[in-house]
This record gives sequence, C-alpha cells and structure tokens, in this order.
Amino acid sequence: MTSRPFLRTFVTPAALCAFGLTAALLAILQYSVRAFVPGSLEPGGLTLENFTALMKPLYARVFLETAWICLLTAITTLFVGYPVAYALVHARSAVFKSLILVTIVTPLFLGEVVRTYSWIIVLGNNGFINSLLLKLGLIAAPFQMMFTIGSVVTALVHVTLPVMVVMLAAALSHINPVYERAAESLGASPIRVFLTITLPLSTPGVVAGVTTAFAWTFSAFATPQLIGGGRVNMVSNLVYQLGFASFNFPFAASLSLAGLAMTLALLAVMRFVARPLERIGLH
Amino acid sequence: MKRVWTFLLLMLLALPAIPARAQEKLIVSIWGGSWRDLVANTAAKKFTSETGVPVEFITGGTIDRLNKAKLAKGNPESDITFTTSHVGWLYANDDLYEKLDFAKIPNSANLVEAAKISPFHIGTWAYVYTIGYRPDLVKDVKFESWADLWKPELKGKIAAPDFDPSHLIVVSAMLSGGDASSWEKGQDKLKALKPNFKAFYTNDANSQQLIANGETPVQVILSMNAHYMKREGVNVELVIPKEGGVLGIDTVAIMKGSKKVDLAHKFIDALLDPQIQAEAAKIKGASPAVITAKLDADTSRLVGVFTTPEQWKSQAIVIEHRLRAEKTAEWRKWFAENIMN
Repeated sequence: MTSRPFLRTFVTPAALCAFGLTAALLAILQYSVRAFVPGSLEPGGLTLENFTALMKPLYARVFLETAWICLLTAITTLFVGYPVAYALVHARSAVFKSLILVTIVTPLFLGEVVRTYSWIIVLGNNGFINSLLLKLGLIAAPFQMMFTIGSVVTALVHVTLPVMVVMLAAALSHINPVYERAAESLGASPIRVFLTITLPLSTPGVVAGVTTAFAWTFSAFATPQLIGGGRVNMVSNLVYQLGFASFNFPFAASLSLAGLAMTLALLAVMRFVARPLERIGLH
Repeated sequence: MKRVWTFLLLMLLALPAIPARAQEKLIVSIWGGSWRDLVANTAAKKFTSETGVPVEFITGGTIDRLNKAKLAKGNPESDITFTTSHVGWLYANDDLYEKLDFAKIPNSANLVEAAKISPFHIGTWAYVYTIGYRPDLVKDVKFESWADLWKPELKGKIAAPDFDPSHLIVVSAMLSGGDASSWEKGQDKLKALKPNFKAFYTNDANSQQLIANGETPVQVILSMNAHYMKREGVNVELVIPKEGGVLGIDTVAIMKGSKKVDLAHKFIDALLDPQIQAEAAKIKGASPAVITAKLDADTSRLVGVFTTPEQWKSQAIVIEHRLRAEKTAEWRKWFAENIMN
C-alpha cells in the first residue's frame, strides 16, 4: 500500500465511471428486450420481438452500407493522412511542423454540425465546387454531390484525419532513422527506402489508425444525417429514425446493441487480419 | 486526503440550498433558439411584469426534453413545458402533466376549437405543413392539390421532414379515399412518390438551407419556415392545397409535481393574452390560439395563418392528436422502411 499511496484515489473515480457506463449499457440491454407500447413512454413486458424485427433485409443493407462507408473512410483517411504524417515527422522547420499540426487538428475544435454545414456549402449544387466548375465551363449543369456516399465519406474523412495523422506520426517518429540512412548509403532510391523500410516499419501505426478510424466512423451521426439527406443512412441514423423520432425506445435499444455487436465483430476480424501486418512492423 | 473528502462533504451539504433559490423563478422548458426568444420576449415579459417572478428557460429538442421529463417524473426540472400537440399526449399518457384548472386561465375561454387539445395541454399557436416551392426553379408546375407533388416533372426535386412523416402519410391516405385511421390505404400512393424525393430534412435549419440553396426546390414545409425564408429574401412561395394544409399545434402544459402551479397558470394566461398572441403570430407567421387576437393586415394575409373559423375549417387537415401520438411510431417505421431506405 505504501508503494502506491494514490492508487485508491485514482482507481475510485475510474471505478465509478466504469460503474456508470456499465449501468447505462445494462439499461439499454433491458430496454431492448421490452415491448414497445404505442402512445406510451413506458415499455411493456419482456419480448425478443425487437431483435426478430431486425431480420428484415432493409436493416442488413443499412448495416452493410455502414460497414462499407466506415471502410472507405478509413482507407481514404489513410491515403490522405500518410503523406501528411510523413511530412509532419520529417519536416525540419518547427514552424512548418506547427502549421501542419494546427491545420490538421483544427477540425476537432469545430463543432460537428458547423463542420458538416461547411461541407454542404462546398458540395451543394450552388456550392463552391459546382460554382467553380460551372464558371470554368467544365460542366454545363451542377454535378450532384450531396446525398451520396462519396460526399458522406468526404466529410467523414475530414474529421477522422486528425486521429489518423497523429497515430501515423507517432508510429513514424518511432522508426530509427539509422535504418533509412543505411539503406540510402547502400544505394537505395528514396522510393525504395520508403517501400522497403519506412512503410513496413510503420504498419503498427497504419493498423491502429485504420482500426480507430473505422470504429470512430461507425458511430457518426450528424454528418450522414445532414450530408446524406436521408438517402445515405448509417446505423446511428436508423436508430434515430426508427427509435427516437418515433419514441420507440425498445427498438432503438435493440438497433444500438446490434450496431455495437457488429462493430466489435468487425474490429475483431480486422485485428485478426492485421496481426501478420503488425508483426512486420516490430523492430 | 481527509481535507478533500471533508470539502466534498461540505459541498454536498450545501446542495439543498440551491432549490430554495430556484423557487423564486418559474422554470419553462422549450425548444431553443427563436422559440425561446419568442416566449421570453412576449409572454414571459408580461408574466414577470405582472407577478415580479422571473422566468428561466431550459431548452432542448423534443425528444431530449421528453426523456428528461420522464426521468424526473414527480420532481420535474421545469414548471411549464412547451411541446407539439401529439407529443404532449405522450407526456399526458405517462402522467407527467398536471390537470389544468381553466378557471385560473381566464383567457382560455377564447381558445379556438382546434387548440383545446386535452384537460392537460392546450394550444399556444398553430401552423401548417404544406407545399412550399421555389417559383424560379420549378417554373411550369402549378400546385393546387397535394396530388401535384406526384407530377413526373418533380422527379428528384422534393424534400420532406425525416422526423415526422405523418403529413404525407395522411395526405396519401386522403388521396386514396382513406384518412389517418385507415392510413394503409395510401401506402401504394406514397410509394409512387418515391422517385420525386431528393432528400429528407432533419430540422428547421436543414429545411431552410435546402430550399434557400435550391437543392430541393419543392418541400413539404413548415409554414413558419417558409415565411421566415421569404423575409430573408429567398424566392419561396407557399400554397395551401385544396385539401388543406396539415395542421400542427404547439402546446403548453404544467408539469406534475411543480411547486408553482398557481404561477404556472398565470403564465399560461399571459401566454393566451390576445395582444401577446397577436405579437407571437406576427413574429412567427403563425395562427393565434385565441379568437380574440387582432392580427395586423400583413400577418393576416400570410398563407397558413388562420384568423377566421372558416379558415380553420376549410384550410386545415387536422390529424387527431391522440391518434397521431399512438401512430407516430408505426408511421415512422413504415416510412423509414418503405420510402427512405
């Protein structure tokens, strides 16, 4: 006890938080197995109907579409974020490094709704991109970007990028520069150095970044709600549409639990698939 | 360590002093933004000048506030709650509302028929969900009936609220020879409208933004939103189809367990004062809930603002509020499964 005098002080709040979160999860669980009573806020007796109702093809489609959007977002964020993280780690000027960091982290400080509305202004029929393309004469009529999976993914990449860059930068900064210098001194071109040294050694960061981006995106709500315009729906939007907007809390709870189970299952699959890749990066 | 725990204990002991101060105020639960400002600048001002009791607002979305009220049952956070008529029935069914003593609300004698919702909640102002469109973007389409929404030239041009499909569900049923209680009759009709939908808006701001930038030049729109957009310079026209606009009424009620029931009745009376009602109608472009409200000519002329019994009768489709509360979940689920997804 004397060797860890603050243990109880630190553990108590954490235990209380864990207790609160577990209680909330249990409340969702008990709602999911209660019957919905139309016109009342109080749920009825025990039932599994909320889960059997999920067997419709519609819900399978939304769950699959959600997984697809998450995967697209994670991969796109990786491709956009890797060069940025590389520049962040390898830039020599402290001012340039700070500039990259501030630019990348800024989306996290904007409210989700404000950030999403800014994308509506950019992607709309009268938005920045369409206006520019029309002025340049490259298109004759506005190109429909809103209410598509592409626009939802674009906006989601914007908010996922900071997390990805920070994770990749942490992995890249842990690579001992001696390896890269040794390869260069042996005549390897910069591309070969990157492909054979830097990229393999940064795989733990890549795996962590992609997994986090995937899980982070799964719970997205405001972005698909506003940019998707009801035409692109993710699980959280379905929870809102079918559960909360119609006061059917038991069904909302069962949808939430199904979403949670699917996230955990997909993350487990990703973890399994990524295990050999992570081993490459051990150094 | 002991000092920290002692400090926390003293803080906890000091907590009961807080409600004692709160008793000096009337707490009103309402949506945020312009709704809060509307009540603060009209009824609350009058109430405070008459009673000396300040009004404090707690704001939130319809569902958030409903959930909070449910969790605080018997010991409510607010004395007064504003919500939509059919959602009010969910409060009432769950025994969250106090029964109103109409003798303590003299102005309630002037309520229009449609505003007499239940013994627990009454209308404060009314509006319609109807057809709004951008005449510059849908030049050759005339809107005289709800059936005009089905015209092929409107393919990919319409938006409707994603939070409440009751308007289109009931209209489709009516066009198919049914009504709200036999809404299934309109299912095929509504499915036929699917190609014309471009998006579904999620709130008032989203609706305004989609019609202002022309993304969805035709909307099943809240009349007050259309009036607001017009005042902001957006070229939007509102029509009441020959079948009528779908009436919506926002209501007020006293929360069960409130310690300030008498003051709450006084607040509601101030809210129903004809002058306050006229002022609110002017600010929002809404129909007043009392027949004695005298609106200025400009407000009276607004589409969807009803000032005569004839207008209330011929221009409004009224979905029975209790039925709407009970059917909301079923309608919402059907709409999400068959129209939105």
